[in-house]
Amino acid sequence: MTAERLLSYFGESRFVPELRSRSKDGVLGEMARVLADEGEIGDPALLLEMIRRRESLGSTGLGKGVAVPHGRSTAATDTRIVFALSKKGVDFGALDNEPCRLFFLIVAPYEDRKHEYLPLLGKIVEVVSDEAVRERLLQVDSFGAFTQTIREAFGE
Amino acid sequence: MSDRVQRLAQLQDLELMIREVEDPASKMKEEALGFSVEGLAQLQNARSRLLKQIPKQDLRAYQRIRRKYDRAVVPVMNRICLGCFQALPTSVTRNVSEAGPLPICENCGRILYWL
Ligand SMILES: [Zn+2]
Repeated sequence: MTAERLLSYFGESRFVPELRSRSKDGVLGEMARVLADEGEIGDPALLLEMIRRRESLGSTGLGKGVAVPHGRSTAATDTRIVFALSKKGVDFGALDNEPCRLFFLIVAPYEDRKHEYLPLLGKIVEVVSDEAVRERLLQVDSFGAFTQTIREAFGE
Repeated sequence: MSDRVQRLAQLQDLELMIREVEDPASKMKEEALGFSVEGLAQLQNARSRLLKQIPKQDLRAYQRIRRKYDRAVVPVMNRICLGCFQALPTSVTRNVSEAGPLPICENCGRILYWL
């Protein structure tokens, strides 16, 4: 997967430089609303229910301040990623009990004809496994800075 | 959004999640990425609770369509059924009464969920 391909799932309207919410449930709601506000999702309630249920199987807080909530929903028509930051950090029930600061919400349609969902999840996990990339992502203040950081992570 | 269609969409999402948790290959792929995927029993409990809230005739329709297609409930965008990608006739509307028929695509027979 190239940087351009990965970046095609993100968007300026799906970039949240600072989350208002201070709770896990608040963060999930705030990020789901981003998709609803840009008309990508008909019904945020249906999406939110699916995301919360996925969290009940185990927190998607992977540790090192990163959370990747994800799932497939009837309410989605295309695969989309919302990227959000919380400088103060949010208790997400992460495996290492550290507060989460970097959030990637991945939502895919029920039918994934291009089989892009799991490889995408894998790519995000791979990108944020690099400490230097995490440090730089924490500093981004615009969507342009975000895309620049991702391109650099790919060595471009 | 009709509550009746909404509940069927909820059921469909839940059944999809159950299927993924039950599928060893898909579960292993997520676990290999560092995610924990436990709690099949609570998903099944949630499904049982949801089933009780769905009118019998809606459930029968949903299950009948599920035997034919992977998805029984499909989104509608710009008056296109995203199950079969055909345009819907103007007679099909998003308004569903409590007792009336479910909105169904005339072409493929799936239940329509307006985005
Ligand atoms: Zn159809």
